[in-house]
Amino acid sequence: MRVIAIALAVVFFVLGILYGLGKINFLTESGAGHAHHITHLVVCWILALLCLIWARFQGSPSASMR
Amino acid sequence: MTYVQAFALALLQGVSELFPVSSLGHTILVPALLQWHNIDRASPSFLAFVVVLHLGTALALILYYRHEWYAIVRALVASVVRGRLSDDREERIGWRLVVGTIPVGILGVIFEHPVRLLFGSPAPAAIFLLINGLVMFAGEALRRRQHGAAPGGYKPIEALSYPQSLMIGFAQAFALLPGISRSGISMVAGLLFDLDHENAARYSFLLATPVILAAGLLEIPRLFAPDAHLVLLEAIFGGIAAGIAAYLSVAFLMRYFRSNDLRPFGWYCVVVGAISFVLARKGVIS
Repeated sequence: MRVIAIALAVVFFVLGILYGLGKINFLTESGAGHAHHITHLVVCWILALLCLIWARFQGSPSASMR
Repeated sequence: MTYVQAFALALLQGVSELFPVSSLGHTILVPALLQWHNIDRASPSFLAFVVVLHLGTALALILYYRHEWYAIVRALVASVVRGRLSDDREERIGWRLVVGTIPVGILGVIFEHPVRLLFGSPAPAAIFLLINGLVMFAGEALRRRQHGAAPGGYKPIEALSYPQSLMIGFAQAFALLPGISRSGISMVAGLLFDLDHENAARYSFLLATPVILAAGLLEIPRLFAPDAHLVLLEAIFGGIAAGIAAYLSVAFLMRYFRSNDLRPFGWYCVVVGAISFVLARKGVIS
């Protein structure tokens, strides 16, 4: 699970960069230009951060989702 | 936009964001009912004004729950540093809020704009307001069926499971539809997962805070749009008014839900939604 969490974090981080650079427009067509891409970047990076936190919890031998 | 209009819209935002009656629906219906045709909802200056109203509302919520947020954030940071979860009450609430915020964060970014384009007019907003009222009645009926009239059998917020928190988050995402109340729909979901009214309201307000704050913060660039300065004073004035209205609203609602339920708000939504829909269909409001 830790490997999956880290892999997802990397994917979201890269996706965020691509949105920020305007290289991908998936699910942004209806948005209001650049500001909308920044929103996608922020959300992707927040998801990446959450995945890293998830990975950290998985790293502890006594960790469990209470 | 006049100062009177700015003040009225600010009060409307501050109150209807937290009362389970849909702020988005009201900000569409009320200007239409009052025939405020001078307000262009798509103009950069109006959007900048709305950003400040959202920030005012979010700051009021943070101020009201400041002790709780301090304890939650501290507990979350401590658990991340520790690298494992504990049974600490604030930590459990905090992670449930994080899990519950994910659905609305993702769905909001994807669907907010298309949904507003599709349904951002009085007739759909009126229909969804009516549906919002019916959802509250249905939620109350299901809660009574689960628990009967006798008090007891309810659980605290920290006893919610992660799937239940996620479901409440998904329920909150329906508030992207103008007319569906964020606090109303998440309260109903909380009630169905055995929270009492007071805890359902508290969880709903805590869950709404990051979303409302993010909605304001992510739109801050609109404040620097070329025409935004035209409403600078109105926006500052409106943000303060919205904040005060939101603070008083949350204080009132937390007291109200200690011993009352959602049905009065359900009646309000059904009646106002039905009347607004008839007026929209007859072309009186547009």
